[in-house]
Amino acid sequence: MDVSELRKNAKLQMDGHPYVVTDFQFVKPGKGQGLYKCRLKNMITGATIDRTWRSGEKLEAANVESHRMQYLFSAGGTFTFMNSENYEQVELSADLVGDDSNFLFEQLEVEVLFYNNRPVGVTLPSHIVMTITESEPGVKGDSANNPTKLATLETGYKLQVPLFVKQGERVKIDTRTGEYIERVNT
Amino acid sequence: MTATPGPLPFERRVAVWDAVLTAVRGHLRGQGLREVSTPVRVLAPAIEPYIEPIAAPPGFLATSPELAMKRLLCRGSGPIFQLSHVFRQAERGDRHSEEFHLLEWYRVDTELAALERDVEAIVATVFAAAGATSSAPRAWRRDSFFEVFAATAGVGLRGDEDDGQLRERLPAELREAVWDGRPGPLLSTDPEVRSLAAWTGLFGVWSDRHLDPWLLAQADVGVHLGEFPGALAALSRRSEQGGRAVAHRVESYVGGVELANGYLELREADEQRARFLAVNALREALGAPRLPLDEAFLDELAGSPGLPACVGVALGLDRLVMLACGRARLSDVTLALGAA
Repeated sequence: MDVSELRKNAKLQMDGHPYVVTDFQFVKPGKGQGLYKCRLKNMITGATIDRTWRSGEKLEAANVESHRMQYLFSAGGTFTFMNSENYEQVELSADLVGDDSNFLFEQLEVEVLFYNNRPVGVTLPSHIVMTITESEPGVKGDSANNPTKLATLETGYKLQVPLFVKQGERVKIDTRTGEYIERVNT
Repeated sequence: MTATPGPLPFERRVAVWDAVLTAVRGHLRGQGLREVSTPVRVLAPAIEPYIEPIAAPPGFLATSPELAMKRLLCRGSGPIFQLSHVFRQAERGDRHSEEFHLLEWYRVDTELAALERDVEAIVATVFAAAGATSSAPRAWRRDSFFEVFAATAGVGLRGDEDDGQLRERLPAELREAVWDGRPGPLLSTDPEVRSLAAWTGLFGVWSDRHLDPWLLAQADVGVHLGEFPGALAALSRRSEQGGRAVAHRVESYVGGVELANGYLELREADEQRARFLAVNALREALGAPRLPLDEAFLDELAGSPGLPACVGVALGLDRLVMLACGRARLSDVTLALGAA
């Protein structure tokens, strides 16, 4: 691929790793050669690096695809997903899934990332709704100072929620920060 | 520049562009220039090493109206200006767009200094027309490329060094950035290609590393950077000044943003043809297609009376509107809604 195809979210391969362009600036001083200044994120490790290319340079496109899949179950340190279109199943090891396992519940729709046709990661929806499985009743009279309490989700993940949230209720969570957003009335 | 306030509301954009286009035309007409409109599709674009025209068979979309306007000057048009849409392939970014408005004008029988005053007046006019949401440059300064280069890079240049001399002269930091890892045209067997590649490569690297920080450190002042090295003359005249090879070319900057590029125009047909051919040779070494020469333009230059003594400048109007509205992205002020 030619550097002129670079833009935000473009995916490319360097030193055997897939990268996604997270920040992109094109500059071209004094009718001179164009410079493509990029911030890149390693799609497997998440590490970021800065690189500058000049117009005319060639890059290797990353053989990266993502497929919409449904989370089925986990067993023995692997997580199993199913392609919603062709029902094919793939397995990801716990270290590839990482902290995202906190928010994986059965039948959740996610994007599974494939690099050279191998599954390498999961992208969760930015917001999900889960059920509180365990939480102490709120303590009355302390709402001004520290109006939250600890609650546990169906996956075992623990987070702070407002005092009025009760066990068995459903809450919306931001998967990027892992924080409570709001109670969902069903 | 201060924090960017985000996209200009649509109603404001229409009002701002209407006021800007009216004010710019009014100002230049008031200066005795006449407005012209030349074709958007041309058979031969001005040949530049790093500007790719977009094909529009049997020719190209104009990358600038320069050659067409110079042909009008050859026929006795006198001082003229044009507000044109120009196209440059694959130039996309916060301050680049494949299609943009170029405001280009020519004055006859005068010096580059007249264009510098024009640029200052156009900048003030557009800031005022945009409603002064951002402060215009509080003053302008003029600097020589040679002085700023010496002050920032730590070495002096003569302006006509060949690639070998340039390589010896430069500090390691710039030498490595220009030569290392990407030899391409720097290894050409054609010495002219090697030198042009070295100079254009150096200008890009130096601008990015030294000139931009130097400009941003005084972003409240407009800067005219004049007296370019002869090797970077493009379509401007060259002369010898105090032992230096000088190109009569000026780049103007506002808020650290490159805004306009002016020339004391080259008039000799043979020299013009030689420069087009040298650029085409560099293009070929870069892997870019050779472009057709504008023979009609070259004939006009070679004929009688030819091109009158003139100066010309091209100014990126979208960038100026962006600056006048206190924005940092062209997309924040454009009327090209949802453009590519």
